[in-house]
Amino acid sequence: MAVLEENPLLEGLELARMPEPCALVIFGASGDLTRRKLFPALYSLAYRQLLPPHFAVVGVARTEMSDEEFRERMEEAVREFGRDEFRQDVWDSLAAGMRYVATEFGSAEGAELLARCLTGLDEERGTRGNRVYYFAVPPDAFEALVRQVGKRRAAEGWTRLIVEKPFGHDLASARLLNEKLHDHFSEDEIFRIDHYLGKETVQNVLALRFANGIFEPIWNRQFIDHVQITVGESIGIERRADFYEQAGAIRDIFQNHLLQLLAVTAMEPPIDFTAESVRNEKVKVLKAMHTPGPKHLVRGQYARGFVDGVEVPAYRDEEGVASESMTETYVAAKLFVDNWRWADTPFYVRTGKRLPRRETTVAIQFQRAPHPPFAEIAGEGLRPNVLIVHIQPNEGVSLEIGAKVPGHGMKIRTVHMDFLYGGAFRTGLPEAYERLILDAMLGDATLFTRSDEIEEQWGLVDAIVAAWRRDRPVFPNYAAGAWGPKEANDLLARDGRAWRTH
Amino acid sequence: MVPAAAEVDRWEGADVGVGEIERRLADLREAAEEGGMIRTSVLTHLAWVPPEWEQQALDTLAGMAERHPSRTIVLLPQPGADDDGIDATLALRTFPLAESGRSICTEVIELRLRRALCVAPASVVAPLLIADLPVFLRWRGLPPFGERAFEELVDLVHRLIVDSTEWPGLPRPYGQMAAIFHRTAASDIAWARTSRWRRQLASLWPEIAGVRKISVQGTEAQAHLLAGWLRSRLDRPVGLEHEPSDRLIGVEIDGEPAPFPPGDPPQPSDVLSEELDRFTRDPVFEAAVAATV
Repeated sequence: MAVLEENPLLEGLELARMPEPCALVIFGASGDLTRRKLFPALYSLAYRQLLPPHFAVVGVARTEMSDEEFRERMEEAVREFGRDEFRQDVWDSLAAGMRYVATEFGSAEGAELLARCLTGLDEERGTRGNRVYYFAVPPDAFEALVRQVGKRRAAEGWTRLIVEKPFGHDLASARLLNEKLHDHFSEDEIFRIDHYLGKETVQNVLALRFANGIFEPIWNRQFIDHVQITVGESIGIERRADFYEQAGAIRDIFQNHLLQLLAVTAMEPPIDFTAESVRNEKVKVLKAMHTPGPKHLVRGQYARGFVDGVEVPAYRDEEGVASESMTETYVAAKLFVDNWRWADTPFYVRTGKRLPRRETTVAIQFQRAPHPPFAEIAGEGLRPNVLIVHIQPNEGVSLEIGAKVPGHGMKIRTVHMDFLYGGAFRTGLPEAYERLILDAMLGDATLFTRSDEIEEQWGLVDAIVAAWRRDRPVFPNYAAGAWGPKEANDLLARDGRAWRTH
Repeated sequence: MVPAAAEVDRWEGADVGVGEIERRLADLREAAEEGGMIRTSVLTHLAWVPPEWEQQALDTLAGMAERHPSRTIVLLPQPGADDDGIDATLALRTFPLAESGRSICTEVIELRLRRALCVAPASVVAPLLIADLPVFLRWRGLPPFGERAFEELVDLVHRLIVDSTEWPGLPRPYGQMAAIFHRTAASDIAWARTSRWRRQLASLWPEIAGVRKISVQGTEAQAHLLAGWLRSRLDRPVGLEHEPSDRLIGVEIDGEPAPFPPGDPPQPSDVLSEELDRFTRDPVFEAAVAATV
């Protein structure tokens, strides 16, 4: 801001948020994430001229590769997965700052190689000792890398870490990771990714709630009957058996994405939109959540079935999965946020693999109209209002309202008022990773998970999992292509409610 | 990448009344909604296009509705026509939405205003505006400041967009432009086209603080606006030398060429599109315009 006061020419100029010169180091550069998400995102940022002119990317992985081979592979990835047209000049400008270092993670000579590469880039590309380290590595490699990076901080410039999920597998391991990180880095240098928070539509929940006067006054127990959050996937485990067998739906989705969606839905208005204010409010929500009792929890595992018209195998028949596996591929829960705003208002959440379709929604169901004068004639047409935030696909918001069917008499039908992102803003939504990488380079941690948030999330998951150890459900208990086990429906039916049909 | 648009429905009528236009529009829309299309608008986009600008204007507008789903009303004044009247063409265009399989539709209304109808266009336009949404007016060529047609429309809209590159006799008209700033938010595409260079020149601070004269190789409008901008921002007289070129390709500060800004110059529809995203007055622009003369 000081600069702006000094330089009168900057006034009114729309300065794109341009990060300072820096080098991005990707550990795990030969992996899928780098190919499918990170490089396409970097290309899109370069395409929009959002990367600093002095910028470099160093890929680090075990696979032997030359700089040139690395560039070729990433070019292919950008052509295949990028959302923008491929322009040679844009790519060339990005590729000029690309290097590759082949090493075992955490080895001393690897660290030396990387350090030399980065010093070289500081001179060649003017990256000024500023570093963003992206940890896209398995958890076992993580600790050694953190230590290595921590010890070799550049004498000048800043250092930031982007940490991919999974962040630990329970509270104890997450705490340990946080400690290891805090040994070398302060919290404002650590950016824990939950890519859901990078999605435009998740941020739009905040815009919807806090930029509009009409929702917030009724956003509470008095007017809201209950909330349903669904993170449904139609895919199976996609050859990730190693990870998934250990994690299950509760660690894969519930612990992070689902709880984050719940937090942005339920949080109090932050005083401003800075990282600390927003995360303070989210943490309060997580702290206010009690462990659901066993009756409020349902887990499931899919059996053979049909998805998109194709027969798919049962979870236990997937490659790499134990034939008696007790890993859950579905979780539903009835959660409560015990504070003044939400006391006694259930949040029904569910997530699962091999559901009928990919769909992430937050549905706010309001109380029904207290005494509709035409109840008898209108009969079944009368339904409570539901505000649905579509996170993906079909990003947007719709409101279900009752409307009179034209003609004699007084029949009511539910109709949708729709706002579709793609309809109102025709620019194409940026990928979550574009936003998150850029924010990390800018040092803005609003959309990243803070250490206390992570620990609250794991605390809840630990308590749930501990209760699960006591009994063995009969798995599998839902067919692939169904909306989860029967017990999930019972969970709501007991309360006289039902999952939204789609 | 934006998928291609398609025109799905069209209605043409010669010598029609505004009431009939409204009715026909409603018919078109109903047909579209039956087909499951979503009508969505974020603004009403009004364009005043004298005959000499027709082709250019239609080219720029072609990609616009896609990015800013809007009701577009193109007013084509024909003051030299033989009689009074309105000829209308209504078109419904649709754009497929990715993933959902649904389409959105927007409306393009072309009105040829013959002879007397050019004089008081506000009464033709007012019933066709979408309630509660902002109205943008793109005026092609030099606006006839003080004439009824222009004055009426200025009072009707939330934002006036001009391109002073299209104006003869610069910089004099900038004075007239400055006089309407208090009535409506205004923007100039020529100004928007200098933004890369303004950013570049701003990066020359503090050396640039003592500039006495600039030499601009670009359009006349850009030269005046850049000089006005420096005068108003730095609060000092800045001399101007202008070397004509059809786009802005160089700026010299007291004889020293400024480095060329990075990136490509924006496309015409990109520039207009960006202007449609803004809603408020731009004090920096207004001061620059005032300082051109």
